[in-house]
Amino acid sequence: MPLEPPLALGPFRLRVDPARVAAYARETGGDGASVPLAYPAVWLAEPWLFSVVSDLCAELDVVPVHESQSFSYDLPLVAGESYDLRVTMSREETPPRLIMAATVATPGGESCARIETLLRLVPRAGFGSAS
Amino acid sequence: MSNDIKVGDTLPETIIGPFDAPSLARYAEVSGDANPLHLDDAVAAAIGLAAPPVHGMKLLAAFEPMLRAWRGDLVIASLAGKFVQPILRGDTVRLSGRVLRATEEEIFVRLTAYGAARAPGIIGEATLRPRAAA
Repeated sequence: MPLEPPLALGPFRLRVDPARVAAYARETGGDGASVPLAYPAVWLAEPWLFSVVSDLCAELDVVPVHESQSFSYDLPLVAGESYDLRVTMSREETPPRLIMAATVATPGGESCARIETLLRLVPRAGFGSAS
Repeated sequence: MSNDIKVGDTLPETIIGPFDAPSLARYAEVSGDANPLHLDDAVAAAIGLAAPPVHGMKLLAAFEPMLRAWRGDLVIASLAGKFVQPILRGDTVRLSGRVLRATEEEIFVRLTAYGAARAPGIIGEATLRPRAAA
């Protein structure tokens, strides 16, 4: 059950950096010939975006634990191109979770991808100092 | 398209890793996921892990090359995974896949990643489609 209205962020105009694509592919077993399906995860981890999660977790005294992740594509991303990222964050109470639902679209508005990140919110007590 | 793919078909198993500390540090740097749980032995030990866990995303992303190697003529329309339990630094990781549904329009594959533990670290799924229809 949602705890409060979802928080909508964006759109953020982001470029698929070819050098970062190559590095990401190298670290995940790909050949870098195409943008890895999981590449948008690097956008969700950007400090200016993930700070929303970090701040919430600090406020609740919880640690986010990555529970699940999905990527669903209508169009492949192309290295060097720019896209608009929109993110909606919502929180559930039982079990305590933060859901990041994101969409990636071309600047012209054509849908490329939908991404969902589920973060389990675990009380910091008993979780050491991990965060 | 998928006449030659049947329910129950298994993908060739892929072995990756074991991943060492520099490997996890490189992934943290490129991905932006600098959670110390993956990088600091003391943080991992504080929650009872024998070693830092490999980033779940690093492992989930590794299914893509496996799927492409299996059927490069298909497009991967979706990839998803649940991070069931940690796969630890130093574990050899076994990626496997099995076709659960197969139609002319879509192939649905169950994915699993195993580390040293008996239970899977990731249970995932992927949907593949013919290139023209994707």
